[in-house]
Amino acid sequence: MGAMEKIVERYENQLFTFGLKMCGHVQDAEDIVQETFLNAFRYLDRFREETKLRNWLFKIATRACIRKRRKKKCEPDKEISLESFVQKDGSHARYEIPDWSDDPSKNVLRSELKQVIDAAVLSLPTKYRLVFNLRDIEGFNTEETAEILGISAQSVKTRLHRARFFLREKISNHFVEGKVQ
Amino acid sequence: MKEDCRKYFERISEYLDGELDDEICRKIEAHLEECPECRECLNSLKKTIQLCKEAGKEAIPSDIHERLRSNLRQLLKRRSQ
Repeated sequence: MGAMEKIVERYENQLFTFGLKMCGHVQDAEDIVQETFLNAFRYLDRFREETKLRNWLFKIATRACIRKRRKKKCEPDKEISLESFVQKDGSHARYEIPDWSDDPSKNVLRSELKQVIDAAVLSLPTKYRLVFNLRDIEGFNTEETAEILGISAQSVKTRLHRARFFLREKISNHFVEGKVQ
Repeated sequence: MKEDCRKYFERISEYLDGELDDEICRKIEAHLEECPECRECLNSLKKTIQLCKEAGKEAIPSDIHERLRSNLRQLLKRRSQ
């Protein structure tokens, strides 16, 4: 494999994380990683832009995630409205967002918190989840994300903004009410 | 939510991502100075993003890593034959 081995070594973790955050199942994430590498290696000899390799791999992985969702015949994407985060009485709500701790003595709390966050991310409608994972988890910028998803930069900004407010609401609700809604 | 708050609420993500020009940033910062509710909104959003980033780190399990290598080798071999 040679060059391919190096590519797998370098990107398998990132693609696995992306697949897991998009689908929520280890088996689906594994399928997405495998499908992504196989498709990429088919055309690798034509690929010359080293710096864009990561973007290209995520573009393939995104298509694999969307195909998987279609196969599962999921419901159509819901829209997230910014209005739902504005208090009807004109007041500002208070939000309880916990801190992440790397202290080993807090492993149990951290694991609970991770479950809450993972569930909240998975409850995002797909088109918002794709943008959130590419921008905030994988660190692509707005233009790169727009290119990977084939949408405008403005759509990336709008979806990211709504996804962040949605997640803030979900996470905070868990800690205020003791459950993920 | 007041009109000013509403106006900046819609752009707070772009502000956090450094995607706004200096003039709008200055206006937002001036508003944040005098509006504790918007400061709270900004901080809670910042904390949410940070938290999701921390929780977003995953490592591929070793059995999947091994299986993936082996499957890819076999599939690529079959393809080249």
